[in-house]
Amino acid sequence: MASYFDEHDCEPTEGSTPFSQANNLLLQLARMLMEQGPELELDLTSLAPGERQAPPASKAAVESLKAAQISPSQAAKGASCPVCLAEFDEYEFVKVMPCQHKFHPSCILPWLSKTNSCPVCRHELPTDDPEYEEARKEKERAKEREAQLDALHNSMYG
Amino acid sequence: MANIAVARIKREFREVVKSEEAAKCNIRVELIDDNFTELRGEIAGPPETPYEGGKFLLEIKIPETYPFNPPKVKFMTKIWHPNISSVTGAICLDILKDQWAAAMTLRTVLLSLQALLSAAEPDDPQDAVVAKQYKENRHLWEKTARHWAQEYAEAPKSKKDDEFYDKVSQLAEMGFDRHKALTALSAHEWNMERATQDLIS
Repeated sequence: MASYFDEHDCEPTEGSTPFSQANNLLLQLARMLMEQGPELELDLTSLAPGERQAPPASKAAVESLKAAQISPSQAAKGASCPVCLAEFDEYEFVKVMPCQHKFHPSCILPWLSKTNSCPVCRHELPTDDPEYEEARKEKERAKEREAQLDALHNSMYG
Repeated sequence: MANIAVARIKREFREVVKSEEAAKCNIRVELIDDNFTELRGEIAGPPETPYEGGKFLLEIKIPETYPFNPPKVKFMTKIWHPNISSVTGAICLDILKDQWAAAMTLRTVLLSLQALLSAAEPDDPQDAVVAKQYKENRHLWEKTARHWAQEYAEAPKSKKDDEFYDKVSQLAEMGFDRHKALTALSAHEWNMERATQDLIS
């Protein structure tokens, strides 16, 4: 079988020793990871893109959240803030998400400065992160394509 | 600890204590200290799983920034499960990481962990050895998980499970630590020779 260097039409830079040494080190590392993998407890998920928490909600979206006042009947029903779990007082001012979930401003604002979704139903607000927005649009387009394919399939065989 | 965290944990604590699941002895929480920063959780092994009849203790640490960040949870009871480290008890579950939401509570966390015991996610493993066994030899994984539940979680024993006890006892009589012997046997398909080799290497 042709060696790595033959295949790539080049020569090892400083003889073959450093190359095989590096190879040995890699092998050692691989073996170490195989043997101790579960014990090493490296949180690799935090490094992998796409597994991180979604970025904060955009400033504009947060500023445009509607405010509302808790009515006496809502308060009487024991409506509470899903973040601090405390019941709302009559006429207390709350922030209303587009999904209609209501929160104390001091409870929802810190959350939206961390991530863009409703703490109750994960309804997403826009973000100021172009990469994230692009990925989200791509996901939506993929979903649409799938729905179209399904519809086509159903119209032919359904 | 910040006021919102303490006030919330107090409310949640009452919620769990009063919950339907607590009445059925499915979940439980206890306070460890007076500042509500550390709690002890307990979940019952779900029916029709190898964990049935077992009680699993959890260490729950409440961060200062709770509920904007998830609680830190790990298993204190040793368990054989693809998404839980058999060595440290660390858990791989999305809601304890990037999928946490501030409206989740101790109750929802405990119920999610119980659901994880019913439905493992071997493609997102925490313990690679367990996950491999789960995928390649489900029957042996089930027997091994049941044996761990009997050994560590007080799950009821039955006569037909004696074979694994005998193997662990044989290694223990040779002078090996019981838990190390059990771990080695579990990781090597209960093959005595390979487990012994693993223990002496």
